Amino acid sequence: MSDDMPAARTVIFSAKLKTAFNRFRGVPVETDLAGYARTVRKIRAFHETEGFVRKADEALGRLAASLRRRLEGELSTEDGVLARIEAFALADEAARRATGLAAHDVQMIAGLAMADGKVAELPTGEGKTLAAVFPASFFALSGRAVHILTFNDYLARRDAAWMGPVYRLLGLSVGVVQEGMDKPAKRTAYACDVVYATAKEAGFDYLRDRLAYEPAELVHRPFDAALVDEADSILIDEARIPLVISGNAGAPGADAGRLAEVVRDLERGKDYETDAENANVFPTDAGIRRIESLLGCGNLFDPENEMLLAAAHCALHAETLLERDVDYIIRAGRVEIVDEFTGRVMDKRHWPDGLQAAVEAKEGVRRGSEGRILGSIALQHFFRLYPALCGMTATARTSFRELKEFYGLGVVVVPPHEPCVRRDLPDVVFTHKVPKLTALVDEIAGVHGKGRPILVGTSSVRESEQLAAALKDARVACEVLNAKNDEIEAAVIVRAGAPGAVTISTNMAGRGTDIKLGGAGEEERDRVAALGGLYVIGTNRHESLRIDSQLRGRSGRQGDPGSSRFFISLEDDIFERYGLSRRLFKRHRLDRRAGAVDDELLRKDILHGQRVIEGRNLDIRRALWDYSTLVETQRRIVAGWRDGVFDRTAQSDAPFYPSPELLAAGSARFGREVFDRMARRAALFHIDSAWADHLAWLADLREGIHLVSIGRNEPLREFQKAATEAFLGLQEKIGYAARKTLESFVGREGPVDLDAEGLKGPSSTWTYLVNDDQFGWGVELIKGTNIGFAAGAAAFAGPLFVFALLANRFRRKKAS
Amino acid sequence: MLDSIRNIFSIPELRKRVIFTLLLLAVYRIGGQIPNPGLSATALQEFWQSQKGSLLGFIDLFSGRNMSRMTIFALGIMPYISASIILQLLTVVWPYLERLSKEGELGRKKITQYTRYGTIVICLIQAIGISIFLQALRTPAGAPIVLNPGWGFKLLTVLTLTTGTVFVMWLGEQISERGIGNGISLIIFAGIVVNFPTGLNKMVSGLRTGAMDPLKMIFLGAIMVAVIAFIVFVERGQRRIPVSYAKRVVGRKVYGGQSTHLPLRVNTGGVIPIIFAASVITIPATAANLIKVPVIQTVAAQFGLGMPLYNLVYIAAIIFFTYFYISIIFNPVDVADNLRKYGGFIPGIRPGKTTSDYIDDVLSRITLAGAIYLAAVAILPEFLITGFKAQALPWIGPFLEANLPKFITQGLGVEFMFGGTSILIVVGVAMDTMQQIEAQLVMRHYDGFMRRSRIRGRRG
Repeated sequence: MSDDMPAARTVIFSAKLKTAFNRFRGVPVETDLAGYARTVRKIRAFHETEGFVRKADEALGRLAASLRRRLEGELSTEDGVLARIEAFALADEAARRATGLAAHDVQMIAGLAMADGKVAELPTGEGKTLAAVFPASFFALSGRAVHILTFNDYLARRDAAWMGPVYRLLGLSVGVVQEGMDKPAKRTAYACDVVYATAKEAGFDYLRDRLAYEPAELVHRPFDAALVDEADSILIDEARIPLVISGNAGAPGADAGRLAEVVRDLERGKDYETDAENANVFPTDAGIRRIESLLGCGNLFDPENEMLLAAAHCALHAETLLERDVDYIIRAGRVEIVDEFTGRVMDKRHWPDGLQAAVEAKEGVRRGSEGRILGSIALQHFFRLYPALCGMTATARTSFRELKEFYGLGVVVVPPHEPCVRRDLPDVVFTHKVPKLTALVDEIAGVHGKGRPILVGTSSVRESEQLAAALKDARVACEVLNAKNDEIEAAVIVRAGAPGAVTISTNMAGRGTDIKLGGAGEEERDRVAALGGLYVIGTNRHESLRIDSQLRGRSGRQGDPGSSRFFISLEDDIFERYGLSRRLFKRHRLDRRAGAVDDELLRKDILHGQRVIEGRNLDIRRALWDYSTLVETQRRIVAGWRDGVFDRTAQSDAPFYPSPELLAAGSARFGREVFDRMARRAALFHIDSAWADHLAWLADLREGIHLVSIGRNEPLREFQKAATEAFLGLQEKIGYAARKTLESFVGREGPVDLDAEGLKGPSSTWTYLVNDDQFGWGVELIKGTNIGFAAGAAAFAGPLFVFALLANRFRRKKAS
Repeated sequence: MLDSIRNIFSIPELRKRVIFTLLLLAVYRIGGQIPNPGLSATALQEFWQSQKGSLLGFIDLFSGRNMSRMTIFALGIMPYISASIILQLLTVVWPYLERLSKEGELGRKKITQYTRYGTIVICLIQAIGISIFLQALRTPAGAPIVLNPGWGFKLLTVLTLTTGTVFVMWLGEQISERGIGNGISLIIFAGIVVNFPTGLNKMVSGLRTGAMDPLKMIFLGAIMVAVIAFIVFVERGQRRIPVSYAKRVVGRKVYGGQSTHLPLRVNTGGVIPIIFAASVITIPATAANLIKVPVIQTVAAQFGLGMPLYNLVYIAAIIFFTYFYISIIFNPVDVADNLRKYGGFIPGIRPGKTTSDYIDDVLSRITLAGAIYLAAVAILPEFLITGFKAQALPWIGPFLEANLPKFITQGLGVEFMFGGTSILIVVGVAMDTMQQIEAQLVMRHYDGFMRRSRIRGRRG
């Protein structure tokens, strides 16, 4: 951030104007970094004058320790600013010594922004791992427990190993949490000053802690500061997916295997119909009769057939809407869900119970475990447990509204150290898929012939395989990277920048992938650069523009040359699914043709369509957020009760404490201490059990709540009312159940074994994420609430309004 | 009652919203006292006296009597509502708007912006029309209403009325956003309720001068309370058809009662059928005004306000329009399709046609009750004032007149404070607003919990 050039001054001035203007419009994006740049200069100066370079390692540690003592005490604002400068300078020096990396100004600016509790947008390849060290060590030196939440386990491991020495030089301890670690190891890791873990694992550990019966079983410390890597993806795309812990296998569902057989023979259009947009499928009358006769069960819609009907629904859904090698893959005899955003197999991801079983039956693989949901928290709410939250990513700008709305996080856009010279070429648009594939193969073969490395981003495992086969026919050697062979990921990526490399990938090679020009040792870097750098080709537009720009971002890192281009056809799934395909054809008077359509208006329209889809998805997320917030409030209250029972420091005012009479009787029978323990176990057991029941009931309520709009009520309001009513009875129910249990113990002859009484936690628990909106539930919530408005408006312009309604109905008839 | 008011004011957020709403409504009322310049108030009053019971009268009702007094808010909120309806219409036929409407928040914001522009355009047109109309207007006695006709008056009127409506629109939006309830509805509500003190005043003075029998007065008060209670009762009335969603297989189903249902309201159409009926029934009178043929004049006289034929046809029209309107806004086939699409069903009933037939059947039956209720509410105040004027009926009139009790044929001769439509709207808006307040009050339970249960930083 040197401002000695006049050009730089103009840039800074325009950035200032932009920030001022944005602030005026209420847009929380900061592009004016002058303040941060000044602080960076002060850090550099401090580093210089204190002569950190010449100090011994131990002296550095001593300085850090004294700073830590100062930071933990009360500091005036001025001293706080100075302390931060010192902390950053120390971290800078420690990083230089431990890793040999000298931090760029932009990394420090990102670090400062994060220390301010913001999301820093730092372009791809600018060294986010190092940037995170600054705020993390600053928080840790302030005596705060820091969690650095990474995108996956591999990154947690790598970053902790890489940056660990930096923290240790500053006298800070570093821990890594990995999936599958045992409790003591996790507890040790979480006890460190700085902890690297995935957000999901930290969340699962939180849920497990919430089911503990003894303090010794806990692994987490109180939550304090969290720094989220790939913030937009984790805080927005993944955040609505609930983490779930379940246990105690329930009653087995209806015979999934037989149902899978039955639905296999049904025909689309005749026996069932689908609605591609919401991913819903439903049987027609003929289909229902066919299922009924094959099952011999009589009317499927009779109350006694409810379980069977549910299983049939799931079987049909699994059979028709979930595709192998697109939505999931089969590996090692297991169904593994492929994440739509990352293209990776998501560990421990499940569909809601019945659906998972149905897919397993469809593929004839071993049934996984099924159980009752004991606890659940959406990642979105989990992050809010941290008093301090900040993050970094390469694509924050486009999500600033959501980051502000859901997390109150501002965004600071940090420019690249070297300006990006990648050329983003205009899309090549085809009317249908076949010429697109031909053109793709031609383009790849052509560019490949010149020796320039190519990265192709496809939308599904299947598409990546099809393209690879087509290239093979054209005698172009290529590597394929998708969810099926993610174990070779690192090796493929290392080679992806080598001259002549062609890498076909899914979204996997988007976020977090660092492709170096010239291959492993960057020996041939100059040659590749001279050819134009990495050429990124996208074969599909994605539902989220951010995913597209992440793919483009693989090219042109740190000022490297490069270019990117998307090849799309109007028949691509994304356009079909939202009905854009037909409209685009009509609007631009297109007919199927072999060549590309070169029309700027069409490109604009496509981009517009993508925005529409994004807006719709945001609406759904917002609706889901409104609902889950209430459930989260209830969860926190129950968690509070549980803590009250769990800690029991002040016994008599703990919730669900036995009445004096019961206490006296119980103490006389078992002794005070034993009875206390019994009372605690009974209360904890009934809290957990009542909460699990309540969760199931809420899920049920939510399913059909949109129907209340027919009665001119607002679904959200009705949900709040009903959910609160049910919740208000919960405390009494738990108290009653706990009292009954204890009374039965007191009144009984002989010894009481708590475990044998079933007063224990689940024998085994497992955690997973639920793809919850599989059934397109969210969409219904944002529709159909306008009857109230209709009534009000008609009062004024009656006849006009009738005409509008009639016109609308006529149009809908025509459309169908 | 007192308790819930105390509750409202004990939540800072809610208190702020309620006070904000009341303040803005007060601003609306104050503005409603400022007359449009250049008019003769007495001449205006005379004119509107002659327009009672016509469609213009209805329009006046919705403008909160601002129209008849020609205040700066004379156009009221109506242009805004017309604009939103026109925009909705355009959304159907104009793909650009359709796309906008599906574009999430930003698109909706843009549409709101267009609605505002549309409001101004409609205001301008209406204001020009009104200014010309006012200039041409004469009272029955022949006096002009405008004091100094000319371009100056027209310009001034257009500017005043447009600005007035834009301001009312802004008030309404502010209430919706930062107050409680729907701002637009509340503004209409306020316009109607303000007549309440005047009516009360009239009664009290009537009582004092002896024009009103105290017994009658008590009786009337009792009827008033009963009618409102009845309206509240029916408006809350729902037939809840149970619905199951058979998509999740839950290991163990635990029910705290049936959680999902299809609520069919007894009065699905709200106040709209009455308005349709009222606008249709004014046609004969309007026609008679235009075509001066004796036969038509005679028929029209039978259809005059409060005449028995008028009442009978009015009732029939309300019942017809109740069914008509519901058939437009509520399509059982759509509902059945929606259920089927998301895996819902009515236990024991097959999806598809069987389900839609079943819903249709239930709806038709409860709608009959709803239609009769609407007709009763619409006709009752009229009936109380003048009774059933059986005398005027051809052939059987004199017979009925002689044999029916007096309070049926002559009514109670007292002015009911509200018309039926007004009561329906007032009660409807009040119930809706109460529901919103209630929703906020529900959330208060959690504050209590949060305080009591000592939530610590530790483990959330």
